[in-house]
Amino acid sequence: MSFFGDMYRGDLNVDFPSLWRRTVAMSAALVVISIGAVAVLGLNLGIEFVGGTSWEVSAPGVSVSETRDVLAGTGAAAAKIQTVGTDSIRVRADLDSVTDVADISSRLAGLAGAEASDVSVTTVGPSWGDQITSKARNALIWFFIIVAGYIATRLEWKMSVGALVAVIHDIVISVGFYAVFQFEVTPATVIAFLTIMGYSLYDTIVVYDKVRDISGRLTATGRYTYTEMMNQALNQVLMRSINTSITSVLPVLSMLVIGSFFLGALTLQEFAIALIIGIVVGTYSSIFVASWLVAVMKEREPEHIAIRRKIEARGGAREGTRQVSEDDVALGGIPSRVSRPNRSSGDGVRPSGQPPRPRKKKKR
Amino acid sequence: MSRQVTYSVGIILLSIAGIIYTLAVGNEPLLGLDLQGGASVVLEPDQPADGSTISEETLDQAVDIIRNRVDGLGVREPEVTRQGETILVQIPGVDDQARAIDLVGQTAELRFRPVLEFASAATEIQYNSAVELLASGEATDETILAEAQAMVDRWEVTPDNAPGEPTVLQSKNDPTFAGRMRLGPVPLAIDQIAKPGQRVTGETLETAAARFNVQSGWSVSPVFHPGSPGIDDFNALAGACFNQRATCPAGAAAIAIDGLVESAPRINAEVFQRDVIQITGSFSEEEAKDLALVLRFGALPLELTPQESRIVSSTLGEDALSSGILAGLIGLALVSVYLIAYYRILGVVAIMSLGISGALLWTIVAWLGASQGLALTLAGVTGLIVSVGVSVDSNVVYFEHVKEDVKNGHSLRSSIDRAFPVAYSTIVKADIASLIAAVVLYFLTVGQVKGFALFLGLATVLDLVATYFFMGPAIKALASRDRTWADKPSRFGIPKTEVAQ
Repeated sequence: MSFFGDMYRGDLNVDFPSLWRRTVAMSAALVVISIGAVAVLGLNLGIEFVGGTSWEVSAPGVSVSETRDVLAGTGAAAAKIQTVGTDSIRVRADLDSVTDVADISSRLAGLAGAEASDVSVTTVGPSWGDQITSKARNALIWFFIIVAGYIATRLEWKMSVGALVAVIHDIVISVGFYAVFQFEVTPATVIAFLTIMGYSLYDTIVVYDKVRDISGRLTATGRYTYTEMMNQALNQVLMRSINTSITSVLPVLSMLVIGSFFLGALTLQEFAIALIIGIVVGTYSSIFVASWLVAVMKEREPEHIAIRRKIEARGGAREGTRQVSEDDVALGGIPSRVSRPNRSSGDGVRPSGQPPRPRKKKKR
Repeated sequence: MSRQVTYSVGIILLSIAGIIYTLAVGNEPLLGLDLQGGASVVLEPDQPADGSTISEETLDQAVDIIRNRVDGLGVREPEVTRQGETILVQIPGVDDQARAIDLVGQTAELRFRPVLEFASAATEIQYNSAVELLASGEATDETILAEAQAMVDRWEVTPDNAPGEPTVLQSKNDPTFAGRMRLGPVPLAIDQIAKPGQRVTGETLETAAARFNVQSGWSVSPVFHPGSPGIDDFNALAGACFNQRATCPAGAAAIAIDGLVESAPRINAEVFQRDVIQITGSFSEEEAKDLALVLRFGALPLELTPQESRIVSSTLGEDALSSGILAGLIGLALVSVYLIAYYRILGVVAIMSLGISGALLWTIVAWLGASQGLALTLAGVTGLIVSVGVSVDSNVVYFEHVKEDVKNGHSLRSSIDRAFPVAYSTIVKADIASLIAAVVLYFLTVGQVKGFALFLGLATVLDLVATYFFMGPAIKALASRDRTWADKPSRFGIPKTEVAQ
């Protein structure tokens, strides 16, 4: 049986908890590197945040040095000039007076052999960025509060802690990535980071919902520790996580590729880079950060401590994480609780050792 | 007909109806500036120096005035909206966007000033030699230096911030030295009882229009209010200028705004009627129309500073749009191939489900564009591309639940029935988290992020709708309708070995 074949059939049993120690160390290292990079290197903030003007014009065959020559003697002599896409020039300078901006627009138009109206110009006042940033910060705080409340009501409060830690982990690493590679942070990047937040949460909630479902039925049997049930949940959602990541990454990849061919798609490209990082980190964190944290917290609950002691007393503590047995998986596979809310979770436990009977087709 | 079939056929019909409606009414998604080219500027009011707060009323008034100005430019569908304390002006597809932004941003008071002296070729020579003399530092004679300094002071352009003082301003249409003029103080209005200290400003004007006639070309006709502030004040100034009295020796009255002289017409009569005045000159059509606009909507009730101005060339916009669409289509094609390869018939249903939310989304976006003036921006397009992933996920969550149940020994059909409520409850939980994000971002942020949030929220709601009314019922219907399909789970992308149990 090939690895992928097993995965496809859902036969793959990855021992996630045994990986947690290493992945948590890795996450911690990445977070430290990210914070360090932001502190030491800082972020390459776009004009939207620091003020100034940027020009963009399609200028086939024009080099950066030619552009610099044209700008010599203007207020933009020290401007940042870069080529973007295949044939366009982007100039960024710390200028915001109307006449200076218009002067440079016409110089660039002359250089590119185009009309002044073919030059795209963005001018941002120096204090504008602060306002946008503080608005975004407010929005973020509100979002955290509301989502934490929501998860606490629909799932449980320990899961809101886990989900928020995972989201913050993802955002810190994504921002750190931008600091390390000094990619320019634009409003597009901010939007992408917010999207990352959404992905990460979505992923985490899917995992949590599964583990809650499984533990809701299997805890009462007293046969499994919370970590083992979490492992089962992770294995069950693994294919879903992989498939969703693939189907989410495909459109974003096409944005990245298209974005590198067209001038106007520069924003698309900026989005795409941040999104790909985010999707990967978000999928990773729901499996390795969010679930780890909840497992650690839940294992400290008296109920789960008792179960663990019992299992250890029976000599259950072996190498690696025990798998939830096929029978119990089958028991867990049909969510009796959802379709029949009154049925107690301990019901339907069959003596182990017997193969599960295929259930009769029964319409509900 | 089972309920499943009714639901899935119903929603297919609904989305087809949506598309037909959209085409029939001619709704089209309204494209944002970054997709069609144009100019946008965010104006923020300066806080009053006396520490008073800016009232809602003043802001609304400013929005109205700016809207009138922009409408006066004759562009298609300009948009002036208030976002909190700031005012967002969006002007799609203007040829000369810089001019438009300039005009909209003009916030200073329109003032009438008597002209003391126009710059001449002789004054230019004197001024230049005085500047040169002072700069060279060669001359030592006190009187010569003082004379040169006086000459420079006399003709140096000064900011127009003291209406009660004489000033030197530049003509808007002539940036050379010859375009400079020395201007007297703005005269006090005759009626000083109602508003003490009131000077002759744009408030005297009722309206203005640009006119064309064959002999004199383009001209501008201002109409004053009766009385004071109004025509009486203008006539007092005009009388002084016509008779070339000491207050107005050059015989012309300047219309100054924002530190520039819009026009300085020579006064050709002592008394004017309020509605038969004509300002002539060698105006181009554009100059005449701009002057009329400034006269009409000269003064804003507050000072505004442009915080962010953006000019997107139409080529850039078109590029962004076409590459966004291309990226979306390619992405969609890749996702489709993957889904069908992996989930077979379920994949086809997932794609149809995407198609349905897509069709409904298009209907809504087009409707919003047509009725609410809500534009689809590049950020919005990105939100939509991103939502493809989220929508597909709903399907994946369900399909994996089905596979799991089949693996646990249930028949395909019963798995399909049982897995839906569980999967849907997960999908709802996750989608609500996305919705919370969308709502919070929509209400608490500005600009691009707001647009993104709106489309993300829309797409999320539609995902819930398409999943509940189409994807779930359609799969149930498929599984129960045709026995041969249900007996071949591989067509549903479910591995054979599992079913063999």
